[in-house]
Amino acid sequence: MINFGYTRVSTHKAAIDAVRKDSAAQWIAGGTNLVDLMKKGVTTPEKLIDINNLPLKDIRKEGNKLYIGALALNSEVAENELVRTQQPLLSQALQAGASQQIRNMATVGGNMMQRTRCPYFYNTDMPCNKREPGTGCGALKGFNRMHAIFGTSENCIAVHPSDMCIALIALDATVLVTGPKGDCRIPFQNFHRLPGDAPHKDNTLERGELITAIEIPDNPYQKHVHYLKVRDRSSYAFALVSVAAAVDLQGDKINDVRLGMGGVAHKPWRLTEAENFLKGKTATEATFRQAAELVMKNAKGYGHNNFKLKLAPNTLVEALKTATVKA
Amino acid sequence: MARKKLPHPPPDQQPHEGRRNFLKQSSILTALAVTPASLLKAAELKLDEKAATYFEQVPLSLEINGKTHKLSVEPRVSLLDLLREQLGQTGTKKGCDHGQCGACTVHVNGKRVLSCLSLAVMQDGKKVTTIEGLEDGDKLHPMQEAFIKHDGFQCGYCTPGQIMSGIACIREGHANSEEEIREYMSGNICRCGAYPNIVKAIAEVKKGGQKV
Amino acid sequence: MDKDFFFDKKKNDPISRVDGRAKVTGKATYAAEHKVPNLAYGFLVGSTIAKGRIKSLDTKSAERAPGVLGVITHVNAPKIPGYQTGKDPAKPPTAGQPLRIFYDNQIFYYDQPIALVIADTYDRALFAAKLVKAQYEKEVHQTELETNLSKARIPTGPRKEDYKRGDADGYKNAAVKIEQEYYHPVEVHNPMELGSIIARWDGPDKLTVYTKTQGVESTRNSIKDAFKLSPENITVNAEHIGGAFGMGLRTWPYEIAAIMGAQKIGKPLKLALHREQMFTNVGYRPETIQKIGMGATADGKLVGIFHEATANTSAYEEFTEATVNITQFMYACPNVATRYRLVPLNFVTPIWMRGPGEATGAFALESAMDELAYALKLDPIEFRLRNHADIDPEHNRPWSSKHLKECYEMGAEKIGWKDRQLEPRSLKDGDWLVGYGMGTGSFGAMRWVATVKAKLQPDGKLLLQCSVNDMGPGTATMMTAVASEAMGLAPDKITIQMGSTKLPPGPMQGGSNVTSTVGSAVHDVCAELKMQIAALASKEGSPFRTRKVKEVKAEDLVFSDGSVALKKNESTKISFQDLFRRNNLQGLEITKESKGQEQPYSMYSFSMHFVKLRVHPATGRVKIDHVVSCADAGTIISPKTAASQMIGGAVGVIGMALMEDLVVDHRFGRPINNNLADYHVPVNADIPNIDVLFVNKKDPFTNPMGSKGLGEIALVGVAPAVANAVFNATGKRIRTLPITPDKLMET
Repeated sequence: MINFGYTRVSTHKAAIDAVRKDSAAQWIAGGTNLVDLMKKGVTTPEKLIDINNLPLKDIRKEGNKLYIGALALNSEVAENELVRTQQPLLSQALQAGASQQIRNMATVGGNMMQRTRCPYFYNTDMPCNKREPGTGCGALKGFNRMHAIFGTSENCIAVHPSDMCIALIALDATVLVTGPKGDCRIPFQNFHRLPGDAPHKDNTLERGELITAIEIPDNPYQKHVHYLKVRDRSSYAFALVSVAAAVDLQGDKINDVRLGMGGVAHKPWRLTEAENFLKGKTATEATFRQAAELVMKNAKGYGHNNFKLKLAPNTLVEALKTATVKA
Repeated sequence: MARKKLPHPPPDQQPHEGRRNFLKQSSILTALAVTPASLLKAAELKLDEKAATYFEQVPLSLEINGKTHKLSVEPRVSLLDLLREQLGQTGTKKGCDHGQCGACTVHVNGKRVLSCLSLAVMQDGKKVTTIEGLEDGDKLHPMQEAFIKHDGFQCGYCTPGQIMSGIACIREGHANSEEEIREYMSGNICRCGAYPNIVKAIAEVKKGGQKV
Repeated sequence: MDKDFFFDKKKNDPISRVDGRAKVTGKATYAAEHKVPNLAYGFLVGSTIAKGRIKSLDTKSAERAPGVLGVITHVNAPKIPGYQTGKDPAKPPTAGQPLRIFYDNQIFYYDQPIALVIADTYDRALFAAKLVKAQYEKEVHQTELETNLSKARIPTGPRKEDYKRGDADGYKNAAVKIEQEYYHPVEVHNPMELGSIIARWDGPDKLTVYTKTQGVESTRNSIKDAFKLSPENITVNAEHIGGAFGMGLRTWPYEIAAIMGAQKIGKPLKLALHREQMFTNVGYRPETIQKIGMGATADGKLVGIFHEATANTSAYEEFTEATVNITQFMYACPNVATRYRLVPLNFVTPIWMRGPGEATGAFALESAMDELAYALKLDPIEFRLRNHADIDPEHNRPWSSKHLKECYEMGAEKIGWKDRQLEPRSLKDGDWLVGYGMGTGSFGAMRWVATVKAKLQPDGKLLLQCSVNDMGPGTATMMTAVASEAMGLAPDKITIQMGSTKLPPGPMQGGSNVTSTVGSAVHDVCAELKMQIAALASKEGSPFRTRKVKEVKAEDLVFSDGSVALKKNESTKISFQDLFRRNNLQGLEITKESKGQEQPYSMYSFSMHFVKLRVHPATGRVKIDHVVSCADAGTIISPKTAASQMIGGAVGVIGMALMEDLVVDHRFGRPINNNLADYHVPVNADIPNIDVLFVNKKDPFTNPMGSKGLGEIALVGVAPAVANAVFNATGKRIRTLPITPDKLMET
């Protein structure tokens, strides 16, 4: 790894100033992804600004919202009593990610900021538009078994690897951001972006903008939730396809439903069309299957990942089946 | 690989030679870019001394197994390399150096973490416990005893990480069933395949109710 | 066998691993962990092309980087004397020219080392390594087996002629027949410990290394040949190695590079591979395509088997393994033909991986047996029983011992085979489909040569020395168990010293030979000790000597707790201490070489593996619920470690069956998942309870203990058991490993 300077900050202002002053500086929190990328030479900041001392670890109720500080650890969020009882889908999704050791280090903000696991991105002597714009997409005609089927561009077919974010997009979370221009709130749906012609940009944050927290509005999704992650081994692996399903069920009737899908796009994928279709319908496998077909309308396979065209709807149906099982 | 379904593309689809050249160049550019400008310049001017100062050391104080260490490290040094290479505490193992195997698991402030992905400099003021810190005099920790009894290892290389993880697994309250132990121990790879014995060892310590 | 045979009698418990304490406390020291003062660190830079020549190398920036002590490339590398002779300093598997590191500018595979950067700290070496720049003359590489099958050739080494008995096409005329192709991709050993070496020159012609090897003697030989040193001036140490599974069966170029580097900079050098280099530079189980034709009569008697395997080797060496051999002896069948072919590709040379060719071959053979059993509508166990080989059909001679039928019985009972249905998709658990499968394994029971030195002290403590080492199975524990039994000593009275060329020579740890080879040597040296004790006990003045009894023989004596007594009258007893004092001895010291003899028997271990699993048809997930592995491995010397070895083998092959697959992007000729996040090996949550059953019957001919090897049969046959269970659950026959969710998912 290259060497770098290291500074610890304890205020938002100091954190923001530090990266504004030095274009080669970067924040570090849990470091589980950043240190890995630095070891690989994918990311090469000349200075790390350690933001772990910022007061952003709180998990608390604020009115009709759950507030989760950006520096709260993945394991702490997953096991927090408020999260487990009020937002169990988030808890499930977090526990499906990585390993307990990594969840003990990784923060909520860092989880959102993690980069793709695409092997062409990770290997510095391979073409990758995300890592080195203009070099081409190695995965497009290469090995793309793990890659996206939704929202791709010819410049990039990478997927966002997070589990947590799939639950957050389903739960209509909001990202709280502070920056040089002041504070702002970004709906989760608008936080991550599609590759388009700028795949090097994973999200809509601008330089110097710091995630301080996420907020999740209260919802009726406590009883009928399920995060289903299909992967190549039983644990400690990234998703082939994952589905976050939250259902407000009355008898057999679906009052409301929220659906997110992972392992399929450059950003956490919200299944709005399927949600709208399911609202007011009876919870049966046949209905779920119809919803799943709607979801797949614009899907596109790239060869090795063609199986996801089947696996994605199947996983959605299975997640809904499990979520709607009566207690 | 009709099997691996990654066909050799026909020649016209081969990655364009021009692009390959570009790639080569661009990886050189990357190498340049990754190199702090001052250092590269220093290297070219043969200013070794000046270059060396770039590799600035940062003071660090941390407690390892109850003993406070006042150190000075380069910011890029991982906690794992600090333990193994600078302090000679080789009980903590390097298996992948990228957070993919769990061999380097230690406790920092009581939580199990991966020391390979932890920059040493970020542990300033923290308490680190490694496998070397488990024994009480000559007396083994109950988890160490249980691993011997149930033969929870073969080559022994992943064992320190498994034991640190196993203790944490119980402390966290994640050892209530064999299934739960399996899931919460999945961040520690054992290539010899001692998993069933590891699960038995942890389940027994949990059942025994001893303080871990 | 007696219940307490080979047990720690005092604790009434199987012996626990004697190096367990060292391993659970972090005190067991592996190659890179030896405290050698004044150490420098090396890091290897790899080629970014898969074939061609290095046009130019720029090492200037690296050389000037802070802390850098030297950069070695083919341009400035010290001449390795052994490289000039054209001989094979690195002991190739069979034929070819082993890779001579930094010898010239030729590139044979991606990530082939092109430079060694040496610095005063690890991080500085790693950083400077990134500054080395190379220009290449690229040539067209070949990395794909399937598109290079036209280059398949018979190995030039002595081992792999085509085999035939009866009519090679015999199966074609059978009443019921199948013809199928089976495939498995490259699988990589990936022991948890990284390939590591510390090399220290103690003088211009004197060298000490700590390295990750499965045989210190063979590493010393390789170094001797490469550097032209006299063997007594080379010390190779490897007491503990963190797994290897075969990758430590040869000396790799990185080890030679480290020795070269230490010489060049005049300091001890530590070189540890990075995990990515573990995929590209130290061997693997080769990619293999197998064809099987198999036919049987309508009542299930095999008529013929044809088995062909085509595997990859490197572009510079031939690596062969016994992929098709298992077909030659496993079943009673009049017409059998096998063929083995190699295709050179631009990769590093493969190396035996646990249960080497046999595990690969058994996947094809035992899958085909299952397919034919279904075609015959026969229970697969019944089908195997009808074709049981009562004698070795390949060599037409009796087995030294064979208890495979007992394995079938024990295993079927334990897994609940009676619940299995012949018709696939018959059993369900909610949405999940349930299936049962089985597979047979076998491996030659080998015994090589070992010398063990024993020192018996007056206080009854016994020291045993042998250069053999332990990659995990528990060599020292096995040696302790044998000596404990022979000498009547508690295990804690016995100390084992091993893993160094300073000790009497032992075998490599490979081919499941160590218990047979070294255990026998321990047995023999203890027998000699007992004879000498008997001789002392026969001397004038000994309490054993009476008017009638002039001579006591070892077999008349009972050895226990550091003393010896008459069998007939155990009150006539003397401690070793008293006996030695009477004879003015400080103890007894014996060094003894031990080896097996040619026997008119075929000697094999056998195993039977049963798997019960569930498949979720919508998502293709496989959940293994239960594995039962039964072994016919003769006498079990150390039950606890033996069971662990069996469990470990099953876990390893669950990886082979369900997830392991090194993916190569042929456009670049390089693997793209060469890390432990993307190349999946089993984690704890993948593994169910695994029951291990031993027939535990002494083989009369293999060795004095009657043991047979265990390490390989733990794996051989597990992969087909999984694939067969998947078929039983789903009706889908997966002939291409690994069986990942995408292959099983249904609409």
